[in-house]
Amino acid sequence: MTVLSAPSLTDVQMVVDEVWGTFLGTEEPLVPGPAGDLEVGWSAAVSITGEWRGLVSVELPGPMAAEVTRRMLGLVDGLDPTSDEDVADAVGELVNMIGGNVKSLMPGPSTLSLPVVAAGRVARPSDVVEACRLDAGWGGAPLVVSVHVHA
Amino acid sequence: MDALIIDDSRAMRSILRRTVTELGFETLEAGNGQEALDHLEAGRVPDLCLIDWNMPVMDGYTFITRVRANPDWRGITLMMVTTESEHGQIVRALAAGAHEYVIKPFTPDAIAEKLELLGLVAKPVPA
Repeated sequence: MTVLSAPSLTDVQMVVDEVWGTFLGTEEPLVPGPAGDLEVGWSAAVSITGEWRGLVSVELPGPMAAEVTRRMLGLVDGLDPTSDEDVADAVGELVNMIGGNVKSLMPGPSTLSLPVVAAGRVARPSDVVEACRLDAGWGGAPLVVSVHVHA
Repeated sequence: MDALIIDDSRAMRSILRRTVTELGFETLEAGNGQEALDHLEAGRVPDLCLIDWNMPVMDGYTFITRVRANPDWRGITLMMVTTESEHGQIVRALAAGAHEYVIKPFTPDAIAEKLELLGLVAKPVPA
């Protein structure tokens, strides 16, 4: 039986904080709440299928995606160039970790997909509805993590 | 000591490479289980494999079963490093032959502690 439920905003915030702090540093933490208009540069999503079915996605502006990439690759001072391939890889791994930990909050067993990444907004299935949305800011710019469930 | 890092994400391979290099390992990398098997079949047999679960071409679980099916590779220590955290999957990986299981996100200290437990890294001597 498919369970139609969703993680709480508090749980999603906890997951995102842990992933962000572990791999992107704690000196500049995520700030909860909307941080201005989001011009989506990159986004990524993973789907979860099984006892619980949903879609976890991350949307962030291009400069933030590049900074996330630099930090995950261990590049210094923000001066090293990153390719679109590197950015897609890093943003994909980011949503993979967030999605995997959201999956662990929900009833199982279930399966996590490989990430889908897009320059711009990633397409979502037409039969999903937003169940949880985390607006946050990092470095003064906004990002959104959302959980969609199948209607 | 040599470590083979198996993950389809270059960013995650970079994080793991920095982590285990700090612990004294030389590293090899593979983007999926099949690439990792290619390393082993070519004679590049490491002391340690750090293995993601979800990868294209060949996933980490299949890689573990393939390694454990070959007696020549029984000396390799296998550590899953993955976002998969369901109890059933952890049990499945350990039953297939994984020695340890680390859930992402992880800290370098968490990896070091697991490797200390496995005897692959010396415990720090108290000052």
